Amino acid sequence: MTQRLRFDSLLGLFPLVLLLGAWQLLGDPESPFFPAPSSWWPALFKLGQGDKIIPAILDTVRTFGVGLLGATVLGVALGLSIGVSRTVGRAVGPTFEFARALPPAAIVPVASLLLGFDETMKVVVVVLAALWPILLNTSSGVQELNPVLLDTARSLRLSRRRTLFGVLVPSVMPAIVLGVRVATPIALVITLLVEYLTAVNGLGALVGDAQRTFQPAKVYALIVITGVLSLVVNSLVRSVEEAVRRRRVGERR
Amino acid sequence: MLLALAVLWEVLVRFKVAEIQFLPAPSEIATAAQDALAGGELLGRIAHTLGVTILGWGIASTIGVALGLLLGLSPLAYRYSMTSFEVTRAIPPITFVPAALLVFGFSLKMELVLVIYGGIWPVLINTIGGVRSIAPELRDVGRMLRLSRLETIRKVVFPAALPAILVGLRLALSLCLVLAIVAEMVGNPAGIGNGLISARQALQPALMFVYVIVAGLLGVALNAGLRASARALLPGNVVKDVAAP
Amino acid sequence: MANDPSYECRGLRADVGSRRGPRRLVLDDVSFEIAKGEFVSIMGRSGVGKTTLLRTLAGLHEASAGSVVRFDGQPVSGPPDGVSLVFQDYTSSLLPWRTVAKNVELPLEGRLPTEERRSRVAEALKMVGLADRSDAQPHELSGGMQQRVQIARALASQPAALLMDEPFGALDALTKADLEDQLLEIFAATGTTVVFVTHDIEEAVYLSDRVLVLDGTPAQIVAEIPVASPRPRTQMLTRESSEFLEARHRVHEVIFGT
Repeated sequence: MTQRLRFDSLLGLFPLVLLLGAWQLLGDPESPFFPAPSSWWPALFKLGQGDKIIPAILDTVRTFGVGLLGATVLGVALGLSIGVSRTVGRAVGPTFEFARALPPAAIVPVASLLLGFDETMKVVVVVLAALWPILLNTSSGVQELNPVLLDTARSLRLSRRRTLFGVLVPSVMPAIVLGVRVATPIALVITLLVEYLTAVNGLGALVGDAQRTFQPAKVYALIVITGVLSLVVNSLVRSVEEAVRRRRVGERR
Repeated sequence: MLLALAVLWEVLVRFKVAEIQFLPAPSEIATAAQDALAGGELLGRIAHTLGVTILGWGIASTIGVALGLLLGLSPLAYRYSMTSFEVTRAIPPITFVPAALLVFGFSLKMELVLVIYGGIWPVLINTIGGVRSIAPELRDVGRMLRLSRLETIRKVVFPAALPAILVGLRLALSLCLVLAIVAEMVGNPAGIGNGLISARQALQPALMFVYVIVAGLLGVALNAGLRASARALLPGNVVKDVAAP
Repeated sequence: MANDPSYECRGLRADVGSRRGPRRLVLDDVSFEIAKGEFVSIMGRSGVGKTTLLRTLAGLHEASAGSVVRFDGQPVSGPPDGVSLVFQDYTSSLLPWRTVAKNVELPLEGRLPTEERRSRVAEALKMVGLADRSDAQPHELSGGMQQRVQIARALASQPAALLMDEPFGALDALTKADLEDQLLEIFAATGTTVVFVTHDIEEAVYLSDRVLVLDGTPAQIVAEIPVASPRPRTQMLTRESSEFLEARHRVHEVIFGT
């Protein structure tokens, strides 16, 4: 079964392989815009810059990780309070609606002006962009909760803390995880965007540098690397989601 | 709430309670907005960004829906290409900005290509999902009533997948706006994105805030416009998903 | 000519595939004939292959090589002209974005002039008692009414044979009795052949001229029970008649073995 599935997914790679193959074979090797795929990888290590790749990947992963974690903590906290209290929800609703609509890209120049070109600024921007899906999923998760659950907690005279961490958070866990999964690609994209726009460390800055110094082969190589990074990150988050879901099914049995 | 925040912000900045360098007071932002409006510059930039976003979104939607119908309906096409699309989709569209800049230079073409490329994905993925999740009974209905292939697509498949397609269109619209602004910030010297960067270089933080707020308002307006037209053009029970926030 | 059967099956074999595992043979050597204008029910335990048999008759499921399946003398390959199918699941077989009338009109579009389509739709809706709900959306109707819309849609193309897959299985008892009587009226008025799949013994006997019982893995027709109750039938009198009770007893015997 799994073997068959894997074979099927390989079949699906056919057009991509065909495209890259045609590019390699039919493309003009001297083309300044579309250098052949075989020249991408060597370009990374030309000019003694090979040692920049690994730190750049680590920088990107760190900004992304810290940003996503911050967005999760903040999003869950805000989402829970909005979900539990109708007053809070109504008070902040329109403000959030507008803040959510702000294109994160537009925030970058402002944030860099106010906070300077450093790691804090990058994380702030990532948190601001990745916050919304987590916040909205959490608050609607709370609102869709069976009211009997909270009544049960109340009738058992659980403390506020126990109610929060023993009842509320575990029961909205799937909604939170879903929010995190949606926020993951956003956080990654914004990390790369901030790096690219401000040229402060990371893969984004490296791609920007390669473009400004006109090294197309290196640009394509970095595109491939970010693609692989994004595939890895997404499948990691998906397996976490899967694990949470399986545990829930196990509980019910 | 929004108003209270603005007042608080004004007070804090005015009386130097919180002093952050370059943080303008709301009143300064309002003045800057008036100036920009009076000069006609703001409207021109809005028109450019809005135009590129809508044009790119329209093209992206057409391609996305057509390709999505094909991949959703033909198991063969799906089998022999879906992984390629999944892999390509995983590459954040932002990373294509440098490549687009290299190939197309600082031009409108570069901006449009980027907007179209990014906009295709949500439409494509949602169309495929919508078509593939149609109840098998509904396909049988089409066969049983002896509808032709084209009729089945037009009368059964497309309307059944429409709610999912609309969700894709909505996601794509927000994404197209973001990509247009990014492209304007780094590539095509026009529109709101370029306005932001120019204001930054001229050290006019108030004007920067004007552009950020305008960008947010554009996002809200585009979304509202799409919802309103969906509601006007389609019967009530189809638009539920689009009308949801 | 009148003796030509509507449906004819000889040595019908059919297998179904599942996502995991090999294909499974569900029907083996199923043979029967259904006369024109006859009302035949197909019964059996759930999962025995009733629906597969009906889908094969409808041309939605392909029988294995060597099987003979004929409708009106022609081999069935794909949905034949003159056959309509009513699905059990009315919620997913009506188009939710079309009004009741537009749903019924669907099979006629592009085939008949507008005027004739209108009158056919009106006629079909009148037959199922929904003439006044033609502009409603399906989701505004009760389950029983939605199933009537589906029946009207099947009738709109004036079929020579009407295939029904547990059409009343999801409805409550009272609605079910109403729809059974309505179906008998339609059957009498149109003279169409009906093949009716159900797992309700009472319903099968009440409606049919003949009940076919499928059993075994793979399934075969293990019994053929004629119902002698005269038509027109009524819920109370027919269900109390000795013919009805006798047929019901025999079907029960075949299925439960006592």
